[in-house]
Amino acid sequence: MTEAVFRETTADPGTQSVPLAHLSLELGHLYMEDFEAGPERLREHFAEVRIWVDAARASAARRIGGKRPRVSTCFLIDDYFSRFSTPAELIPLVLEEAERAGVVIDYLARESGCAVADRIELAESVMHRLVESPPPGSHGSRPPVSQTGWLANGQRTSPNRSALAEIVTWQPPQETAARNHSVFMDVELWSETDKGRLWSCPFLAAVWQLARLGLLRHLGEPVLVPKPWTGGEFPQDWDRLPPLLKLNDSRVAFSAYRTCTLMANRFLAVEDAVRLILDQVDVDSEALQQVAKRSAAEGVAVPEAVAQRATYVFYEEPANPSSPDGS
Amino acid sequence: MATPGRSARSVLACGEVRTGLLPSFQALDGRAAAQLLRLRADEHVRVSERPNLYALSPEVLTGVDCRLPTSNGAKVRGVGTVIARAALTEGRVLQSTAYFSAPADGPDVRRPWGHYLVRPGVVEPFGKLPEQATADGVLRGGGRGDLDLGMISEGLLAQLVRHPLLDHKAPFKSRRTHLRWAARRTPEGQEPALDRFTLAQDGLRTVELRVPESIPAGAVAGLCEDLALHDWLLTTVVHMLENSRLGAADGPAAVLALRPAVDHLLHLWMPRAHVDRALGHLWDVLEREPGFSRQWENLRQRIRDQLAIQAIPLLHQALSTR
Repeated sequence: MTEAVFRETTADPGTQSVPLAHLSLELGHLYMEDFEAGPERLREHFAEVRIWVDAARASAARRIGGKRPRVSTCFLIDDYFSRFSTPAELIPLVLEEAERAGVVIDYLARESGCAVADRIELAESVMHRLVESPPPGSHGSRPPVSQTGWLANGQRTSPNRSALAEIVTWQPPQETAARNHSVFMDVELWSETDKGRLWSCPFLAAVWQLARLGLLRHLGEPVLVPKPWTGGEFPQDWDRLPPLLKLNDSRVAFSAYRTCTLMANRFLAVEDAVRLILDQVDVDSEALQQVAKRSAAEGVAVPEAVAQRATYVFYEEPANPSSPDGS
Repeated sequence: MATPGRSARSVLACGEVRTGLLPSFQALDGRAAAQLLRLRADEHVRVSERPNLYALSPEVLTGVDCRLPTSNGAKVRGVGTVIARAALTEGRVLQSTAYFSAPADGPDVRRPWGHYLVRPGVVEPFGKLPEQATADGVLRGGGRGDLDLGMISEGLLAQLVRHPLLDHKAPFKSRRTHLRWAARRTPEGQEPALDRFTLAQDGLRTVELRVPESIPAGAVAGLCEDLALHDWLLTTVVHMLENSRLGAADGPAAVLALRPAVDHLLHLWMPRAHVDRALGHLWDVLEREPGFSRQWENLRQRIRDQLAIQAIPLLHQALSTR
């Protein structure tokens, strides 16, 4: 059969591909109080992270057969739930302490960029892509994630009123993919506040993972595209900082086939929730195919399920180095 | 390495299309159509202006884990996702389809949900799929608790007609039709075939097809939407002519009854306008027998003749009052 002669671009819009590294390595995550605790705390943090950075690189190299892997590093600063200091003050401090530990940060992101980046409502878009894992017996009714704002890994406890009496019997919740016994989890995706919808930390972290995995698009175009930092002063206001900044001339792309996130073990529950969310997001199928094809062509095929592409190292919280006098 | 979406080969694709008049006084233009069908903010609505105005929504998934409908009572559990999408033709006729494909067999345990999500529109059976019984079961409609494609497509339609763009002032009364289809997959190299088109009662139509594996289920869904659209046009115009009590009614009443056909429907007839090229020729069977376009041509001619006859007295009147 011959090629079609006539074509309409609006009838056949394409999906742009994005450059991909082998591994996107996140160099820990800090709360506001960690920054408040001063440079020593950051120093401890990066010293610990450094050990796992080397391990993650070695693991990535082994996976591609001992060649030099393309690993990009990133660091996410929370400016969504709480605002602390200014980019001009804080970022140089972070970069300095990272460098001191021998850790290079290639890409720096703001957490609010996972909610809205360059006027695109990323979190909202991902929310519309949630397809709930159906508990047995689901034959086509659409589950109302968008109404409840909660996402679970099974069926919730529901008080069952018996027909005859006012007796309420307790039904245990049930994990859909349970092995013998359930580990039931229910994740709050957002809450409504006076200032509008507040996305939850696990939900934004899921968006962040999808961005790092190169699976986010808006109308076929890549989103959260890194802006180069030209070396000048960082702005005084977080809102004036681009959502994703490329800090050096590294040629390794921000997004990657896999992600590895290094974090203190207090984040374990949050990241478990992130995986629960990732497991129920119907990502752009063309973006998915682009990644699958390219990774396979390089001989480093990615796991099929998106949540399986995200790996973690949870380490023990570094001891608080602050001296008794509180400096 | 399995590419996402390319799971085990599918042996069956099934769907249900609901077709009805858009509840809006004015037909929607391309922009409004795209707005209506924007089921996701981050994905394009496909809009064509040639050879007619046609908009197709992004595809959305519904997760299912339930019995598949079977004609012989076999109990087969299926898990996966059903694709739903909507199309608007000439800003006038709204259709929603729910469809899925199924491989010949699947494992006896449910896999992590992420496994199913990277295979959009695939429902995997537990064990072996009774292919013919499932195809027949879908066409006949499932029992309680069985996979319900009609409910999924109806759900999408219900969501769309609540859109604030629509004023719910349809220019005339019409009924929805629903068309169920089942396509058995044939080996590569075999020609696609339309084996049966059945016009049942209460607006139900069924279509049985054979389609080679290389043709995506979405293309089969597109063909069936096209068949459903034209069947709906025939059904609606026939109904309109019946109600106009042609010949019996006095002039102005007949004109009033038939005018919506001229205003809103007569220009919509355009078989295979947006059908995959590999499947377009399946229309030929229906053109030979019963002759869809033949019937349409006949209806159109009757309407035009009727309007012409009604115009003669008006002409006389106009001439005599000069």
